[in-house]
Parts: sequence; structure tokens; C-alpha cells
Amino acid sequence: MTIRARVFGALCMGFAAWAGFVMANPAVAAETGAGLALPAPGSYTLDHIQPVPFGIVLDGNRFPRMLSHYTSGKITLLAFFYSTCADPRGCPLAWEAFEHVREAILAQPELHGRARLVFLSLDPEHDTPDVLKNFTRGYEASASLVPWYFLTTYSYLFLNPVLRKMGEEISIDREASGTDRLVLNHLLKVFLIDQRGWVREIYSNQSLDPAAILGDIKTLAIEAANGDGRRR
Amino acid sequence: MNKRARFAFTAALVASAWGIAAPAARADETCLSPYTASLIKGQEAYLHVWALGEKGLGDESDKLVTIDADPKSKTYGKVVSSVSVGGRGEAHHMGFTDDRKYLWAGRLDDSKIFIFDVGTDPAHPKLINTVTDLTEKTGYVGPHTFYAIPGRMVIGTLSNDKSRDGVTGLAVYNNKGEFLSAHPIPTDNGGDGYGYDIAINPQKNVFLTSSFTGWNNYMMDLGKLIKDAEAMKHFGNTMVLWNLKSMQPEKIFSVPGAPLEIRWSLKEGDDWAITASALTSKLWLISHDANNEWQAKEVGTIGDPAKIPLPVDISISADGTKLWVNTFMDGTTHLFDISDPTKPVQIYEKVTGKQVNMISQSWDGKRVYITSSLLQHWDKTGADNEQVLRAYDWDGKDLKPTFEVDFFKEKLGRPHHMKFSGPATKASLDVPRRAASR
Repeated sequence: MTIRARVFGALCMGFAAWAGFVMANPAVAAETGAGLALPAPGSYTLDHIQPVPFGIVLDGNRFPRMLSHYTSGKITLLAFFYSTCADPRGCPLAWEAFEHVREAILAQPELHGRARLVFLSLDPEHDTPDVLKNFTRGYEASASLVPWYFLTTYSYLFLNPVLRKMGEEISIDREASGTDRLVLNHLLKVFLIDQRGWVREIYSNQSLDPAAILGDIKTLAIEAANGDGRRR
Repeated sequence: MNKRARFAFTAALVASAWGIAAPAARADETCLSPYTASLIKGQEAYLHVWALGEKGLGDESDKLVTIDADPKSKTYGKVVSSVSVGGRGEAHHMGFTDDRKYLWAGRLDDSKIFIFDVGTDPAHPKLINTVTDLTEKTGYVGPHTFYAIPGRMVIGTLSNDKSRDGVTGLAVYNNKGEFLSAHPIPTDNGGDGYGYDIAINPQKNVFLTSSFTGWNNYMMDLGKLIKDAEAMKHFGNTMVLWNLKSMQPEKIFSVPGAPLEIRWSLKEGDDWAITASALTSKLWLISHDANNEWQAKEVGTIGDPAKIPLPVDISISADGTKLWVNTFMDGTTHLFDISDPTKPVQIYEKVTGKQVNMISQSWDGKRVYITSSLLQHWDKTGADNEQVLRAYDWDGKDLKPTFEVDFFKEKLGRPHHMKFSGPATKASLDVPRRAASR
């Protein structure tokens, strides 16, 4: 068995397991009962929190591109991750939410081609373009409707300024890390970015509700259709 | 992808398949924003105390004082650092950013907000930014509550720059200290427009605000204020239930007598919050009824309301069964059993000072800290104006003193709000930079 085949097999196993979780847990933070309903898309505004900073990233084809290539022109949902992350409150939770949002967008033709998903690796030393290409492959079939990019950087020299300006602090957890296992401390943050490259919402593991994210994406789509969205 | 990567990633996904999900803990050390990172569930290492400067004492400036709170430390119970910010502007409350790296501290008089880096070296915080545009951007005065949401800070204010009464609102800033938006507290449909605390319940898409009084009153001498019948009419009598996503008010509750701190129960599955009204000395429960309609209901009395003991701060236990209450005028710390939040029962009380104000407890409930100062012009005078931080161990039956810092004796001023920090860890100082770092 080639390395590539083994990788694909492992991913298939992982996705199957993950899919089981999603089927059993249809929402991350959905609320019923006395919770207040989410407002209708377009009935509220999202703050212009901060612009996405300058950065140079690599995709699966090893081509260096400006980060803005992946964070402007469309509505972008961006999360930081690393492929060896095993914290169930971290990357897997973001992955699950992204998958829900992706499926919801696929089911709504008016959003086709208007949004993208981006995972940017926190571990450029391990998550090389070749490694990330394996992740991209699983979503190629629907890429024209809602692309999902898996990006990395040349090194921490390129990554750290982006993290710092995005407010995503990371550090190595040396107690949990071993010789064959890297554990990074990081606070789960998922960024919703408008087509002008402004962060308009940030979700944590307390607020990573796919229904809320979808409502926010629609709100930005309505805003763009109305020609609004410029920062005051 | 190597063996390590395949294993870890697959393990993560399998772990997810087993249903290991993020805990739904709503808060940290029992009263912080639910979005705050790095819970301190063990021994806190440091206490940060935001202190009002005192004319004729030390450098006379407001300052952030850091005290060693680790019993195993050689400097346990001692002041390890102090950062003066310049001038006196009614230093009051503080709040961590969501990543807990920065601590925002506000002043009620000049509306300045100071941002300290407490994450890099918690023993020695550093002032990194001062926000001075709150009033210019919003018309609000008196930044009181600093409540983190992801990447931002929601600031509950107390007043406005025109009438200087209690009509005010909420301001949202990003973590860099840049203004984003303002949200007035409603003055229609029964709302009085007054503000004080903020408490978010993300799972319910709601947050609550409470109401105190404006600059005209909180900067007035307390003795004079109590005799001023017109001024005494200008206290908040409402709480507001907001839609968190839209930041729009949804319902206004009548809660007479200045409801102050709001605490959501942290117990899994609980959907209620509790507050204390300062002037009427009552406990109020905010919960939903059988029809999922949110209501506010008076559920208990603190001390003898006729004597106006002035409950000024509350602290809920992590399991949602106990509530500490400090009453300023009689210097008493009370403990209520709120296992049934509709029927709070006082189970303990102790005089802990000549005047007591803020109260904070550790996550495990074993340690309790109190400070003495309420407001510069409301504190007692003469011999009753002691200015201290007192630390206690709680053994389930009695508060046992452990250490005390006399802020006047140490020439530090008047101690008000407290926050905890853990020790500086190697990891927190160790951002990956190169491959060799592993």
C-alpha cells in the first residue's frame, strides 16, 4: 500500500467516524426552549471588527499567494487548525461546524459561489502543502459551489504575524507534547469575513452554532446585494 | 502524512464520534464572561486589584496592584507589583479579554479605560494602551462592566455626557481598543435607560443588563445624596433581556432599587440568573416560566432592608448552590443556600470589616477575598474608612482569615475590583518560532 493510499484510508476512517458523530449530534450549539430565536438574516448588522492582515500562504499546489486571495471577493469562514489536533474542544469542533455550514450552503442555491471555507494551519512544519492536499481532495466535487481551502505557510516566521494581528495566540504545550506528538494551546476562534476582507463575526466554542453562522453569512450576502457593508 | 499525524487526526475524529464535546461551562472563577479562556480551577497565583488613588497617599494615582495569592510562595500575601496609571478618575471595575491575556480597567469619572498585559507575566502586568474615546464615540460616561465576547469587549456604562444622569448604553470595542458600535439601553416600554452589569448566556442567545445610577449621584457624597430626595429618584429600577445576536432589547423587567451584579447559574442545565438590588436589599431571580417566558421575581431578603445594608456584590458558587453577598454599610459577608433559587436561605454571616464591598471566590469555593472600597465619595470616613483586601479560607462552616493587605498602610489607595491570574507558564511565554523549537 502506498503512503498516499494509507493516508486516504486513514482519512476515510476518520470521516466515517466523524460523520457518525455529526449524525448523532445535529447541531453544535443549537438551542430550544426558552432561548431567544436568532434574528432574521438582514435584520441586524455585524460590526466591522478588524481587517484581515497581510500574509503569504500556500495552498495544496505549493503556490504562494496573498492571504487576501482567500479572504476577499467572497464571504469567508476561516479557522485555524492543525492536522494533528486532538482537542475535542478545538479543531474537530470547528471541522464539524464547517461541515454543517457547507452542507447548508450546498442546499441553498442562492449562496452557491458566494462563500468559501478556509482552514489555515497552525503547524506549518508538519502541515505541508502535500499533507493538506489530502484534505482538499475530499471537497473537490463541490468546490465550484462552496470551495474549502486548506492553507499553510512557509514557516512560523510567516504565520506568527498573521496570528498576532488576528488575535489568535498559540503556544506549545510542552507538558502534553511528546517526541512524536505536538500539542498547541490555542483558543478556538472561527472568523466570518465579508467580501471586502473585514472580520465581521468571531465564534468560539461557546457560540459555534451553524444556524447562527449561516444567518450571519446570509446577512452579509444581503448587505452586499444592497451595496452596503462599507465601514463607517 | 506520517504515522503521528494519521494517528492523532484519526484519534481526534474517533474521539468526536464517541461524543466528547466541548463543556458547556458558562463562566470562569464563577463570574466572568463565558467566553473567557483558561479557567483557574485550582489555586490562583495572583490577585489583581484595581485601586483608587488617594490624595496625600503614595503617588496619589489610581493603580493596578498585584498580590501573590499562592500559599506555597515566599511572597504569599504580599504586594508583588503595582502599576500607576496617572491621576485619579474613580477606578472601579475590570474585565479580561476572551484570551485572558489582557485586563481592561475603567474609571467612572474621566471615562478612561486602561488595558494591561497580564498574560505575558501575571506578576508584573504592563500598561499597553489607554482608551480615551468612549465619550467622544458614544456620548456615554462611566465605563463600568468589561465583558468579553470573542475578539471584542462589551462595555456597560453608567451615565452620559449631557444630563449625567443614569441614561446610558453599551459600547463594543475590538480587543485592540478600537470602537465598533454603541447600543442604547431602552428608555421606552418601561425602560429607564440605566446600566450597570452585563451577563451573557450564549446557549440561550440572551444577555441581561442591570441598572445603577448616573455620574451626578455616584460622584456625590453619600451623606448628601441620601438627604437629596430628588437625587434619590435617579436610581435604576429595571433589568433588560437582550437578544445576543442582534444586540436588541427584547424584554424589560421591573426590579426596583438598583439591581447590580448579575450571576448566571453555572450548573449544567440551569437556566436562571440572580441579582441583588442595592437600595431595597432583595434577591431577584431571572428565569423562564413553563411557557418559556422570561420573568424576574423577588425571591429573598438580605439583612434588614429597613436599615439599608446596601448589598453591593455577590459571588455564585460553581455548582450554583451558594451565593456570597457583601453588605457595605454593616460590613457583613453573608452566605445564602440557593439550591432552590426560588427560596434562598441565609446559612452564615460574619462581619468582615467596617465597610466591605467586592467579594470573589475561587472556583472550588475554598477561598474568598473581599475588598473595602465602594466609591471614593461613598466610602465611610474617619476610623471607619479602613481600606483593605482580606483573604479567607472557607471550610464550609466559617471564614478563616489567611492574609490581609492594608492598602492605606501600604500607601496604595482604596481597593475595589479583583481578578485572578494563574502562574506564568513556560508554554504561555513560548510561541513557536522555528523547527528547532521542538
